Amino acid sequence: MTPTVSASGLSLHYGGTRALDDVSLRLTGGVTGLLGPNGAGKTTLLRVLATALPADRGAFTVLGHDPGTARGRQEVRRRLGYLPQTPGFHPDFTAFEFVDYVAILKEMTDRAARHREVRRVLDEVGLADVRGKRIRKLSGGMRQRVALGAALVGDPGFLVLDEPTVGLDPEQRMRFRELIAGAGEGRTVLLSTHQTEDVAMLCHRVLVMAGGRVRFEGTPAELTARAAGRVWSSTERDPGAKAGWRTGTGAFRNVGDPPDGAELLEPTLEDGYLLALDGDAVEVAA
Amino acid sequence: MSWHVPEEDLRAYARGELAAPALWSADAHLGACAACRGVLAEVSDPVALDAGWERLDAELDAPRAGVLESLLVRVGVAGHTARLLAAAPVLRRSWLGAVVVVLLLSVGTGHAPHSGEFPTLFLALAPLLPLAGVALSYGPALDPTYEMAVVAPMHGFRLLMIRTVAVLGVVLVLNGLATLALPEYGLRALAWLLPALALTTTGLALTPRLGPVLAPSLVGGAWVGLLVLAEALRAGPEAPLAPFTVAGQGVAALVAALAAGLLFLFRDRFDLFQGRAV
Repeated sequence: MTPTVSASGLSLHYGGTRALDDVSLRLTGGVTGLLGPNGAGKTTLLRVLATALPADRGAFTVLGHDPGTARGRQEVRRRLGYLPQTPGFHPDFTAFEFVDYVAILKEMTDRAARHREVRRVLDEVGLADVRGKRIRKLSGGMRQRVALGAALVGDPGFLVLDEPTVGLDPEQRMRFRELIAGAGEGRTVLLSTHQTEDVAMLCHRVLVMAGGRVRFEGTPAELTARAAGRVWSSTERDPGAKAGWRTGTGAFRNVGDPPDGAELLEPTLEDGYLLALDGDAVEVAA
Repeated sequence: MSWHVPEEDLRAYARGELAAPALWSADAHLGACAACRGVLAEVSDPVALDAGWERLDAELDAPRAGVLESLLVRVGVAGHTARLLAAAPVLRRSWLGAVVVVLLLSVGTGHAPHSGEFPTLFLALAPLLPLAGVALSYGPALDPTYEMAVVAPMHGFRLLMIRTVAVLGVVLVLNGLATLALPEYGLRALAWLLPALALTTTGLALTPRLGPVLAPSLVGGAWVGLLVLAEALRAGPEAPLAPFTVAGQGVAALVAALAAGLLFLFRDRFDLFQGRAV
């Protein structure tokens, strides 16, 4: 399958900070999760792939176009949807007006066709009933859906979502996950998140980033499998564990290299993620 | 409900041929009477009826153009460009109000006794207003939609120029009106114009290098420093400050032209994010 995004050796430095360090990846259709702690380089990678920032080194293509050239960047942007980490709004705009404004930025100059498209995306994100409401009067979850609607204008082939579920309550988060799952049908979505549940519920592939590098690339099942035999329970925190935390039962759950005779536990995606962040688990899965 | 719209009228309504005042009665009644809406659906071509409802619905959703936007469309600006112009953050009332207050104060000092041959305070402040206006309309710190706009296919430089023209248009008109309020100074009261263009274009030309906050701040600071220096070197209390002499105006025109050239050369840099993230 031809990848939607193919990148090799992407690096970007800000002064002395290495924000991206030799990042290579391939993205195909469906939702790919991008997991990593704060400062891992996730937002920088998304901005580079969304053509907002140029990389210092490396090359990549999006939908067959090279964003390194002005023409290629323009072509990519015509097929791109981007939801930034903290989307900003003109607060006096209604939901309809805001999406209409973004549609104009996306070169939709025909008023009737543009308004049809605005109505379509607002329907798609479930905001048809509040499209005439001012954005400042909408809840955080609804604003996030307005921003997703704006990203979906023009039916983009590549959708970049930067931590869209942050700050949402559990119900809104579930609603948003449904929307992302729908958006992933027939297009490529790159979803940055800190939440392993987002990845478990939505993604067919997952990338783990830390320190500007990709520490793992594979399926969620492969990430979970990396923790097989490396998760154990103990009554006290095991000092030899790479990470350990007290669970609801009062026992400690440890990940790392278990001592002899340890009571091994069934691994989860979270265990695999924690191990992938560690320096011992930097190799990339096939 | 005792009265209903006659079927003949409903047929005419569906064809778009019902005339007022029967049309008004039908409009008002159909909103409240499900039975008549049902009859209307039966007597109408369903495709045409759906299209009609859709048109009506779309029209109700359509953004309402404000005064500025309507004015722009009336003078021939394309509808989508007028929307972009009207959405420029600096064209909000708060910004325009601040500009008007600054101008009123500076014009007021121009009318004060012993204010000299030149309205110095007005000439010093007026060039800073478009510089500040353009700076406030662009960049990740000040434009809430900046990050979405920068990855949109519309070229960043084009959007910047649209907003710059909007700001310059409004602020220059306000400055011009303030100039008319100082008739006793004649053409000398227009000595703000070339420095205004020089500061605005220089601020923009330096933005790709220094960023959208630092560049205009430094340019504004340099202008204030230049005026302080010119005041220190002034020949006498009645003499104009150097930037408002003929030579100073020539230098301002030259700076504006050079900065405009640089801005054009650097135009592609406005197509990329002017900030940082990790």
